[in-house]
Amino acid sequence: MDFNNVSGFKRRVLIVDDEMINREILGNILGNTYDVFFAENGQEALDVMHGAEKAFSLVLLDLLMPVMDGFEFITKMQQVSEFKHIPVIVMTSEREAEVKSIKLGASDFITKPYHMPEVILARCERIIQLYEDNAIIGLTEKDAVTGLYHRDYFFEYIRQIETHRKSPVDVLAFNIDHFHLVNEMYGRQTGNEVLKLVADKLNEILDDNILIACRTEADTFYVYCDHIDDYSPFISRIKDEFENGTGPAKIRLRAGIYLNADPEIDIEIRFDRAKTACDKIRQDHMTSVAYYSKDLHLRSIYHERLIKDIDEAISNEDFKVYFQPKYDITDVHPKLRSAEALIRWEHPELGMISPGEFIPLFESNGLIQKIDNYVWNKAANKIKEWKDKFGYSVNVSVNVSRIDIFDPVLQDKLKKIIDSNGLDESELMLEITESAYADNAGSLNEVTEKLRASGFKIEMDDFGSGYSSLNMITTIPIDVLKLDMSFIMNMEKDEKSLKLVEIILDIAKFLGVPVVAEGVETKAQLDMLKCMGCQVIQGYYFSKPVPAEEFEKFIIKEIS
Amino acid sequence: MLTIDKLKEYGANTEDGLGRCIGNEALYLRLVGTVADQKDFDNLNSKIGEGDLQGAFESAHALKGVLGNLSLTPLYEKICEITELLRAKTDTDYSVLLSEIQDLREGLRKLAE
Repeated sequence: MDFNNVSGFKRRVLIVDDEMINREILGNILGNTYDVFFAENGQEALDVMHGAEKAFSLVLLDLLMPVMDGFEFITKMQQVSEFKHIPVIVMTSEREAEVKSIKLGASDFITKPYHMPEVILARCERIIQLYEDNAIIGLTEKDAVTGLYHRDYFFEYIRQIETHRKSPVDVLAFNIDHFHLVNEMYGRQTGNEVLKLVADKLNEILDDNILIACRTEADTFYVYCDHIDDYSPFISRIKDEFENGTGPAKIRLRAGIYLNADPEIDIEIRFDRAKTACDKIRQDHMTSVAYYSKDLHLRSIYHERLIKDIDEAISNEDFKVYFQPKYDITDVHPKLRSAEALIRWEHPELGMISPGEFIPLFESNGLIQKIDNYVWNKAANKIKEWKDKFGYSVNVSVNVSRIDIFDPVLQDKLKKIIDSNGLDESELMLEITESAYADNAGSLNEVTEKLRASGFKIEMDDFGSGYSSLNMITTIPIDVLKLDMSFIMNMEKDEKSLKLVEIILDIAKFLGVPVVAEGVETKAQLDMLKCMGCQVIQGYYFSKPVPAEEFEKFIIKEIS
Repeated sequence: MLTIDKLKEYGANTEDGLGRCIGNEALYLRLVGTVADQKDFDNLNSKIGEGDLQGAFESAHALKGVLGNLSLTPLYEKICEITELLRAKTDTDYSVLLSEIQDLREGLRKLAE
């Protein structure tokens, strides 16, 4: 289909230039494709537009003209509702004029002397198409809430600016911490006020350096700035404004900055990098700005590699499930009680990858579900294998991540694994980390109730590590409490940790919930815990996590 | 009569100039034929004479656009030079540059005879 000749009519293009020679050259280039109209200055152009029966698809505009110049024309045109969505391509040989016209709302530039005709024609076609496509899907180039550009226009404009502007730039990404909470707590209208305020303040504070800005993904702001060496004065002003200011809601704005961004790299990737820096400090409440660096870049490339390799690693079984025994110490002779399944990644090229590296990464993007599924299956297979081989049942705990809790088919998945291995639900124990409770106690309560009703045992992992509330263990139905290993590490030298362990053990005893102490390394720790009434111990004192074959020696010892 | 060969001899990059006219030789020659009569040349002279460097800059700037599009290289280069001086409001003796521009303008006019 000939894009420019849909349903038999030619689109109309208005060329505004005071020089006859320029008008004629452009008219000759565009005349075969479009219905071309001419005006010698801004005023005449407005008259032509008002007088026309059909709308124009594009205006090609010279800037320096008598009577009414290009800048005034754009400003006037923006004020007329039926004209303001018509794209304008500015024709100029002035570098500085480009930024000014983009700010006013121009869509592209044609430099003088003109490029070859094919280039000019292609540019015109592309701009018209961009605007028409967006008109079809109901988008305008500006975001109604903040007045900033929409993402697509923003990137498109930067690409145009960069075709002829070569000065160094910085790309900045800003994100509002927990913005969804602002919406939830104060309502959407306040949320919108906050977004508008952020846009206004960024514009005000970055003022002279800002070239163009957009809002994306609800609460992220992208800003394209002339390069400056030091953003710290701006950042501290932004911090003052939002963290101590009198706005509709107190918010924390994080910034990720890619200084002197490499112009050879696609603009969207440059902003991805600024965003990566910005995301890196999501959890760090003391830091409000992060700079994109080579280290960070290498790290993000490494992470991308891990993400890319996960499926292959699962099918090649590069993930190894290790088992760490848990011993019941209530008797004089410790008795093998159960085991915890832990994952290791033996990458064929990158070597052994620490779970500390890939688990937080996969938790953050949801891929952890694949890992969890894998471990559940492998652990269940082993329980069955050991039962068949030794006639001995070792209960194995597996991790259930936060995201699994919200999986509507979680129970079916687990049930299927239990059934296909001929196990009892109680043999595959489910560890849910404490922070999941803080996130959404309501649904967690519901899910754990259901799982327990069908026979699964629930262990609360890492208790005491984060947002614990003692109240929580009285309200959430659990079968085992796992004491965070930081208590064990500190209890010998820190009276407070010791006291806390004592209190937790007392409450657990009162509730009739057994406690597992993790990270026990020494006889002294074991004795202290035993003395305080702790029943189960896991840690290097007994064994580090070991491969399944090696774990068998604990079973053999137990049954002999 | 103006011809492509004469323009080549003059130093114009006729390949580029014709390219911008999509190879339409008649159009190109017609447009080049109007250049020597551009009022902006006279304005440039008079504004500099009056000391109105901003006004002179605007005329030079307009000429620069036109000459560049037609690729009349020798004249274009001189006009670029004076445009930059005027942009910076340089306080200098413009007479040599102006007379060179005038000579090139007349040279162009002669080509058409």
